[in-house]
Amino acid sequence: MKAGFVPGVPVQALLDAQAEVWRQAPSEAVALIGAPSALQPTAAVRAEFPDGRIGAVKQVAIAVLHNGSELAFRLTWQDPSADTGADGQDDVGFPDAAAILFPSRPHAPLMTMGAPGLPVTAWYWRADENGRGRQVTAEGLGTSQTVDRDQVFAQGVYGNGRWAVVIARALRAQSAGPVAQFETGAAANFSVAVWEGSHAERAGIKAISLGPLSGWHELVVDGRT
Amino acid sequence: MSKRQLAMVMDLNKCLGCHTCTVACKQLWTQDEGMEYMWWNTVNTMPGRGTPRDWEQMGGGFGPDGQARPGRLPKRAEFGEAWKFDHEGSYYGGQGDGSHLKIKGDSPEWGPNWEEDEGGGQYPNSFHFYMPRMCNHCTHAACVEACPRGAVEKREEDGIVTVNEDRCRGYRFCQSACPYKKMYFNHQKKVAQKCVFCFPRIEQGVAPACARQCPGRVRFVGYRDDEAAPIYKLVDKWKVALPLHPEYGTEPNVFYVPPVLPVSYGPDGDIDESKPRIPDEYLVSLFGPKVLDALVTIKAEREKKRTTGESELMDLLIAYEWKNMFGGFDRSPETVSVIHWRKKS
Repeated sequence: MKAGFVPGVPVQALLDAQAEVWRQAPSEAVALIGAPSALQPTAAVRAEFPDGRIGAVKQVAIAVLHNGSELAFRLTWQDPSADTGADGQDDVGFPDAAAILFPSRPHAPLMTMGAPGLPVTAWYWRADENGRGRQVTAEGLGTSQTVDRDQVFAQGVYGNGRWAVVIARALRAQSAGPVAQFETGAAANFSVAVWEGSHAERAGIKAISLGPLSGWHELVVDGRT
Repeated sequence: MSKRQLAMVMDLNKCLGCHTCTVACKQLWTQDEGMEYMWWNTVNTMPGRGTPRDWEQMGGGFGPDGQARPGRLPKRAEFGEAWKFDHEGSYYGGQGDGSHLKIKGDSPEWGPNWEEDEGGGQYPNSFHFYMPRMCNHCTHAACVEACPRGAVEKREEDGIVTVNEDRCRGYRFCQSACPYKKMYFNHQKKVAQKCVFCFPRIEQGVAPACARQCPGRVRFVGYRDDEAAPIYKLVDKWKVALPLHPEYGTEPNVFYVPPVLPVSYGPDGDIDESKPRIPDEYLVSLFGPKVLDALVTIKAEREKKRTTGESELMDLLIAYEWKNMFGGFDRSPETVSVIHWRKKS
């Protein structure tokens, strides 16, 4: 997949998932599968979510743009219910969510959310925190932690039975955590995850994409300047 | 496995259902935003559906094979919302005696003490008793084991189970896993919250507020392995204090001395010594089959105390001196510098 170069488009404009710049961006449909029950960190989670009950969202359309300093992903998927965690929805429900995952270091494994010494980085959007993304790192199942809440921009809009969510961050980020960094003209790896709140999906209960590179998809950040 | 384990014994024969424990806990711990509906300690009339409503049917804990048993999340309405009363309208609304105190908003359909004094059985053999409940700080805690983030922790030094709110992301697996439904969810802060066994008091030698404030001297506090203190004597030596629903497989560290009510009346109105007022099978359904032995011991020791004036067990349960109930955690709360613990910023 290629991150198209849109010089001069500010990140605030990219955060509008319905902006013209996104209409012109090529979009690719990617199939999602449920994260395996066997990989869930605890027996209680595995008992509640056997295989077949994980991964309600089956497909997501992905487009990627960058403006030379920020990299932005637009994810769109069908979802009959907007679970936003708003009043009245916060009883026993969970909010919809989506994230982009990157290896922070070469060879960081996707399926186990990294490994000790091989961290992964997630840019995370959740419908009850719309507008304010989280940057998360992990070095294995159950180890994810929010490293900051101000570097990732994440803005979702719901309409016509679809979520359209833009998740963006600076190509180069200043962070104390082991976060992924990007260069124009270079290739990077990524994967996506979508959580369907109305199916009580949260934590490791999610739909994920599996690409050809040990599960990762390749992303080429267009190097034209 | 923690090095030591703090525990509590509640003597149900002495609980008068006054809710002082519940209010003491509320005042100390659950006044903040999002905690309005939380009652880490509750007292319910038994038999009853309890709080949250029908919690015994919500699953969680472990099956006979030791495998995690799926549970479900309790709904807010099953706990009962914290309703407010229209004091202004009642006192200052100009209606005089014609106005009565009303609930603001929708009428609630459940609450933390909804079935007070209803009980069970048929007249003249109706019966009830009060049962306080709080987190059991289990040895094999389902909440600790369920959390995929390791955010629920069992303290090494004393076995108190706490939530690390910095790790918690509000996934609520702990809440479905707890078979006692004593994990609460703060819908404002989006984190799980629960009884902390008043650990900031414990750390300074003060018993938890629910125990210290109890006017009935119902609650004993101390380390499980302190052989000189009442917990060990009641649980391990005399075997009269039992966990609630041991079949849930979590090894609770709150124990109950089962209630012994008067005997029943026969159809002719005479006292029937052969039948207890509370059916044995009901107590077995709560505390397991060992409760029958416990009842025999309690009755025998009562008789011994009555006839000879001597019984170590009865002297323990009577608790002549309150300080002897707390296994050394008997400092005055007035001596504690930080009573209402706040997270360090």
